[in-house]
Amino acid sequence: METLPISAESFKVGFVGAGKMAESIARGVVASGMLPPNRISTAVHSNLNRRQVFESFGVKVFSSSEEVVRESDVVIFSVKPQVVKKAITEVKSTLSKDKVLVSVAAGIKLKDLQEWSGQDRFIRVMPNTPAAVGEAASVMSLGTAATEEDGALVTKLFGSVGKMFKADEKMFDAVTGLSGSGPAYIFLAIEALADGGVAAGLPRELALGLASQTVLGAATMVSKTGKHPGVLKDDVTSPGGTTIAGVHELEKGSFRATLMNAVVAAANRSRELSQS
Amino acid sequence: METLPISAESFKVGFIGAGKMAESIARGVVASGMLPPNRISTAVHSNLNRRQVFESFGVNVFSSSEEVVRESDVVIFSVKPQVVKKAITEVRSTLSKDKVLVSVAAGIKLKDLQEWSGQDRFIRVMPNTPAAVGEAASVMSLGTAATEEDGALVTRLFGSVGKMFKADEKMFDAVTGLSGSGPAYIFLAIEALADGGVAAGLPRELALGLASQTVLGAATMVSKTGKHPGVLKDDVTSPGGTTIAGVHELEKGSFRATLMNAVVAAANRSRELSQS
Repeated sequence: METLPISAESFKVGFVGAGKMAESIARGVVASGMLPPNRISTAVHSNLNRRQVFESFGVKVFSSSEEVVRESDVVIFSVKPQVVKKAITEVKSTLSKDKVLVSVAAGIKLKDLQEWSGQDRFIRVMPNTPAAVGEAASVMSLGTAATEEDGALVTKLFGSVGKMFKADEKMFDAVTGLSGSGPAYIFLAIEALADGGVAAGLPRELALGLASQTVLGAATMVSKTGKHPGVLKDDVTSPGGTTIAGVHELEKGSFRATLMNAVVAAANRSRELSQS
Repeated sequence: METLPISAESFKVGFIGAGKMAESIARGVVASGMLPPNRISTAVHSNLNRRQVFESFGVNVFSSSEEVVRESDVVIFSVKPQVVKKAITEVRSTLSKDKVLVSVAAGIKLKDLQEWSGQDRFIRVMPNTPAAVGEAASVMSLGTAATEEDGALVTRLFGSVGKMFKADEKMFDAVTGLSGSGPAYIFLAIEALADGGVAAGLPRELALGLASQTVLGAATMVSKTGKHPGVLKDDVTSPGGTTIAGVHELEKGSFRATLMNAVVAAANRSRELSQS
């Protein structure tokens, strides 16, 4: 039996799990104009705060996950990894081939999602923390019966909170080590740049403001110009200048090797955790 | 004699020096709607390419710097540091107290700008390379007769290509070490994160895309949430998880100290250069 495509003009999205990730995506989707809030729903059992948060921007709040699933064409499981199995089995009888199922739970494989749900039109997405400020780096992998159109729809949904990439599921541990854990490495970098500025004589507030804007600007240059980072570095290191003096210190301190070590260690830890 | 304020509704901006910085600011100002392009001018002597670039988005192009100065209320000297003195002395007779003068030349002090021009309504701005993509970290220092309103106007102009900060001129070497040279440190970081991703098994293109978006997202979190980077790091390091494993590698490798070293070394080099 052929998979029915989801209607782009009228589809509804439902979140099972009304936490921060669901809120970020819901807000992003509404702010981008992709969906009016009344085509988005979630379930909140008793937490009045969470109910008010979603209702405050027009999202429908039901009391049970079954209602959310019945209402929705695209169902996003946004509960913590420890409770995903329970959340899926609770609504198993309301699921069908006509719905696109999405999971954002870190470390939970498509094989298990499909087994627990009895459905294989699943898409696994690994977003990261900056979804909260609309600049996520998300990676998706399509399940057995998820179509390219399903993938395109999910890409648009997650595109409203950042950038979406596609990868084979076997790469997800490496993705975790890089985009999953990466924001923390950059928080450390921004703190260190600010400390360096203070060491050089700047007041803390100015140093921190310059540090975060400098990092933001540099990352924007890489993504907007499409130039290799090494070429961009060449472009800004004038002979005997200040920048090459700074770069020299980074090389002396094995700066790049240390960052590689971090990504590899986090990826390895992700692999360990998924085997326990 | 009191300084005449520049009229916010009708003021004109002129660039002495028609290079990349002038182009970035001119484009940014037009794109933000702050000024229509016909209230912006520059001078191009013989380089047809540069003339066409500015004319292509509606900026007036004169053949001489004197015409630009006569036309403008705000004059921005955007020539290379080596030729600033010549550029200023060439137009000295057309300058007056009624114009706000701005210099973006790295390492050139207000004392010299004011001496060469015979004017003290000068503002010195240290922008950085990401002005080209609208995400500069710029710092300004007001000259003797530049008013707070002049500062606010210049802040708005540079606000169209990024963020503006204010600092005492004596801090400009430290600023150079941080926001001036900082983008290069982040280009290295992005390359290293991508290499780490490749070491962990990702294809290059995906690794580089994730690396730059992850850095962008993390910097956006620091600037939008206003939370301390250490608190943000705490928020994302779950017990025994992948992220703390990555952070541990950074600490083992003295990651933060190395970045501090870079900022301090570049600031010191800036101080040396300004004394030669």
